Amino acid sequence: MFLMNPAYSQDDSTAPEPVKIKPVKNTFESIWIIDNQTVMVPIKGTFEMDFQHRFGVWKNGYDDFFGLFASSNIRLGFNYAPIDKLFVGVGITKYKMTWDANVKYAILQQTNGKGKGTYPVSITYYGNAAIDTRPADNFLHFSDRLFFFNQILIARKINEKISVQLAPSHSHTNVVNGYYSEPGKVSQERKHDHFAVALSGRYKLKENLTLLANYDQPITKHKSGNPNPNIALGLEISTSAHAFQFFAGNYYFLSPQQNNMYNNNDYTKGEFLIGFNITRLWNY
Amino acid sequence: MNSKISITFCLMAFAALIMSFTFHSKQDPWVVPEKNAKMVNPLKGDASSVSAGKSLWAKHCQSCHGKQGKGDGSKAATLKTKPGDFTSAAFKGQSDGAIFYKSSEGRKDMPSFKKKIPDHDDVWSLVNYMRTFK
Repeated sequence: MFLMNPAYSQDDSTAPEPVKIKPVKNTFESIWIIDNQTVMVPIKGTFEMDFQHRFGVWKNGYDDFFGLFASSNIRLGFNYAPIDKLFVGVGITKYKMTWDANVKYAILQQTNGKGKGTYPVSITYYGNAAIDTRPADNFLHFSDRLFFFNQILIARKINEKISVQLAPSHSHTNVVNGYYSEPGKVSQERKHDHFAVALSGRYKLKENLTLLANYDQPITKHKSGNPNPNIALGLEISTSAHAFQFFAGNYYFLSPQQNNMYNNNDYTKGEFLIGFNITRLWNY
Repeated sequence: MNSKISITFCLMAFAALIMSFTFHSKQDPWVVPEKNAKMVNPLKGDASSVSAGKSLWAKHCQSCHGKQGKGDGSKAATLKTKPGDFTSAAFKGQSDGAIFYKSSEGRKDMPSFKKKIPDHDDVWSLVNYMRTFK
């Protein structure tokens, strides 16, 4: 047995060529997954316009036609990718006439293959600074108008159909409500900083049709007015230049820090609402 | 009787006139530079490449060229130039390089995908998927 000729792997001319290591594509079809950002950053030179809409909660039934005729919240967003991996944008939201300036940067991109030089997940940073532009008599100081958001998005494309994402976030608001805890002493009803985590996923039903799911869990506990978690489920239709997302969930606001800090829609009470995100891409 | 014939004739002539505007114009020959036509497909025969191409096709091409590449997508009727039948012998007779060039460069109604699909391997994957049309 030991006299048999040894076989050298170097001699095997039929060995398959090594797989070229490349970033995986289309972990998600849009920069949005319902109420959260995704790890996706469009290619350099992409201009994107966002139309986002949240209707009222549907529990009033026919009175406001399941929320469709209730007061709605709307956001218009404009984003551009000046260099690879970077996306910057501004948006305006109807609620509190909030303007936001946002930035997104792809820190790591999941790659195919295994071994040295490959990454099992994509990691992207997303942050925004927002300003409430209602009249000055709503505020004592200019800084009272400001609130901020930071999020790390970690996602893995498991296969061609399934992708999942975990996204811890930090929200900060410059001003919170107070109350008289004792005569002459004002205490804060809640903290200025709030931590939360979002879990999102997609399942591609067809090439252009995707099932989306989103869950947001508050972590920070406040003295009062603790926000409720958010459960959302929707469908996405994507084309070369558009993504259309239609869903039902609990979040009404269109600024992530407002949603994470102030969501008072309770899924256990059936306080769901219908919403949609539409994105339009142009490549320059 | 004559008036009935005249009316029928006028209606047929009118219908023919209307139809002449709705037909797609005939395609001009699309000459591919020799250098491009001779480009070698580095992903030929790669099954995962065909799968990637199918995904790209559904997203970027299907609405005009149709699910099976027969030129019968939902937007095809609105185009000035017929998208063509990719199951035909004329299409299949082209080199991979020629199909790559046309897919990437675009012409008239066919948009350029150089910016939208910048990775050459993705375009080759599309070429591989288009080769599967029957």
